[in-house]
Amino acid sequence: MTPIIRRAAVRTAMFVVALALVAAVWETYKAVGPEDGGTILGVRILPRTSEYAMPHVWDMFSRFSRPEVRGSERTVLDAVTAGAWFSFRLSVAGFLLGALIGVGLAVLMARFKVVQRGVLPYLVVSQTVPLIALAPLVVSWGGRLEVGPFVWPRWLSASVLGAFLAFFPIAVGTLRGLAAAPAASVELMQSYAASWSKTLFKLRFPTAVPYMVPAFRLGASASVIGVVVAEISTGLKGGIGRLIIEYAREATGDPAKVYTAIFGAAILGLVMAGAVVAVDVVVMRNRPKEAVS
Amino acid sequence: MSRLATTLGKAVPAVVFGAAFLGFWEWAVRFFELKPYFLTAPSSIWQQFTANFDLIRGAATVSGTNALIGLVAGTVFGVAMSFVLSRFRILNQLITPLAIALNAIPIFVLVAVLNNMYSITSEIPRRIMVTLVVYFIVLVNVARGLTQVSPTHVELMRSYAASDVAILRKVRIPNAVPFLFTALKIAAPAAVITAFVSEYFGGSQNGLGSRISSNIANSKNAAAWAYVLAACLLGLLFYTVSVVMESLNRKGGANQ
Amino acid sequence: MTAVSVRNVSKVFNQGQSNQVDALSDVALEVKQGEFVSLIGPSGCGKSTLLRLIANLLEPTAGEVVVNGKTAAQARLDQDYGMAFQQAGLFDWRTVRKNIELPLELKGWDKVNRMARADEMLQLVQLPEFGDHYPWQLSGGMQQRIAIARALAAHPPLLLMDEPFGALDEMTREYMQGELLRICAATGTTVVFVTHSIPEAVYLSNRVVVMSPRPGRITKLIEVSLGAERSEDTRNRTSFFEAITAVREGLRGMHAAHVGLGNDDR
Repeated sequence: MTPIIRRAAVRTAMFVVALALVAAVWETYKAVGPEDGGTILGVRILPRTSEYAMPHVWDMFSRFSRPEVRGSERTVLDAVTAGAWFSFRLSVAGFLLGALIGVGLAVLMARFKVVQRGVLPYLVVSQTVPLIALAPLVVSWGGRLEVGPFVWPRWLSASVLGAFLAFFPIAVGTLRGLAAAPAASVELMQSYAASWSKTLFKLRFPTAVPYMVPAFRLGASASVIGVVVAEISTGLKGGIGRLIIEYAREATGDPAKVYTAIFGAAILGLVMAGAVVAVDVVVMRNRPKEAVS
Repeated sequence: MSRLATTLGKAVPAVVFGAAFLGFWEWAVRFFELKPYFLTAPSSIWQQFTANFDLIRGAATVSGTNALIGLVAGTVFGVAMSFVLSRFRILNQLITPLAIALNAIPIFVLVAVLNNMYSITSEIPRRIMVTLVVYFIVLVNVARGLTQVSPTHVELMRSYAASDVAILRKVRIPNAVPFLFTALKIAAPAAVITAFVSEYFGGSQNGLGSRISSNIANSKNAAAWAYVLAACLLGLLFYTVSVVMESLNRKGGANQ
Repeated sequence: MTAVSVRNVSKVFNQGQSNQVDALSDVALEVKQGEFVSLIGPSGCGKSTLLRLIANLLEPTAGEVVVNGKTAAQARLDQDYGMAFQQAGLFDWRTVRKNIELPLELKGWDKVNRMARADEMLQLVQLPEFGDHYPWQLSGGMQQRIAIARALAAHPPLLLMDEPFGALDEMTREYMQGELLRICAATGTTVVFVTHSIPEAVYLSNRVVVMSPRPGRITKLIEVSLGAERSEDTRNRTSFFEAITAVREGLRGMHAAHVGLGNDDR
């Protein structure tokens, strides 16, 4: 086994162990905890342990194989997988759009200090604007947008909102990376009378890559959040957000079902982040092994 | 005098940009006679903001309290855990993959689980969410500050036969303080955002997030955006406080 | 034929402010084609600043710099010089060969010619087997040789070097000095070399330029006549030690003047 594979295997094993520990803690608390929740020092901080509030871990897993709705052919697993796949494609689209905008903005801000000073504070504030308020705006603008034969599909709104959450960490990380080129190398490029754009592509971008990778990883997970929240607030059918809402409504009768959708969403997030990490390993394989935060 | 001028001068592009943006927005709504559901004018948002100010302040207080409690709790746990991790490096192997995975899992997943586990009027789920988010941010940064100390400094202390605790107090902790403030600068706005994002998915309806979502659902766009404005201001407030705390610490004679 | 002509150049940083620095004051220097000239002096004497003025990485506050018969700015645009720093400054993400090709890429050379020239330079610095390695796989001395190969890749008539051997150990340093002379003899390049080390300056140069700080200026020009050829032997010869003594006295004389007159005001 090469060292990289061995490290990945150890990490995965550790992760499985950690998950098992979490499941063990869950079941233990369920066994010993008060049925209706409890208090510590007068603060009502202990959760309830009823079947409704905390289903057994094995119930959650077994729910996957049973039919989605009584009498239906489709199992929960099918439904969750289909929903996750739908949302995955939207998340990828949102991520790519966000990456394009984020990197573009970072280059603009790196080139023109004025733009950086004028725009960056608002980019920071923009992230406090709740998606719930933006989602209907994007949907209604999209509804009006018709450029030639192109009609705005409803799913594009969700991707745009994913891009909105993704572009910020990508922009910030890329900007930091572009500024990280060593002064001596910048001088070297000056001594070659290289233009700003040549310096950008031959020096600044390669130097920025170690900073861009964690930023892209954050952007990928952010895109998933944006897409799913958008699905929920715009009522978009077909995605995992919709499933979570539907199953949550049925939670009183079928408490384990909503957890299946939750697992689906969690795995979606992990897959997106994992894809970025895989690209990282490939892109950085020729570089010296040093840690960059 | 000139240093103040240069600092103010640096803020000019942001102010200019902001004013131009607002001006253009207002003009566009009037000129194109845009309906409120399409785009609300800044002037009507402001009008709603002042008209409902008491309600808005109440909601902001609820969300702000949740954010603050979570921020404090998360910082305390994060710092405590970072001490533990710096002492027992092996725990790192177990915790890191879990932390990375938790980071990748969308936030609402946990929110839904927590909402199920507590009663519908409890604010606890939001506070737990904020605590978790803040905890990870603080943990990552402070742990780095405690462990990434200059080897020369450690060697020097060992040559004085200093105990591990002494090294902790005299070298690692001072080194970690700037990292704590960096973490707070990220965690403070994150706490506010998490506080009201957790409100979208059910549970008690007193905070900013639920007000925004219910106003949107009732097509009261101007009112909703007035709450959004409050949310942005709250986030800005938290961020400014953390920046001020950082600069106070720096003036107190700490490192660069 | 004059390779570099520095005419009454002054350089002031932060003019008019409380932290104003007179880095260079009324400096004049003529460097002939094919000469090897060292700039030596204590910290703050302006030797690195002078090098950067020749490289047109800085503009003089007064006076002018003429390189290869043109203004320094034009010389930079025409790529009439190559530069090497104390840190080799190779790009981690490029192979050794691609690092050498960097200036050629910027000049618009096509792939075939670039590869041919890179191979030629690898031969010149005697590292032909390392073309496809990455910089971090090479030792410090080897990285500096590649940096020199890169600096000479476009066959510029002038080489500017800012303490390139400063980070190397003594043995590697002496070896690199010999290598540098061999390479420059083979290519006929003019060299302006900044250093802290007296033996290094004497071993390498035809002339040593002694500089002093506050304000930065040239205090002495010392001709070094160790003959055209250098060898292992050269460092043992009496003439070598005499030259070193001359340079040391040039440096000390200026230093003594400072101390004696209590000029160390801050």
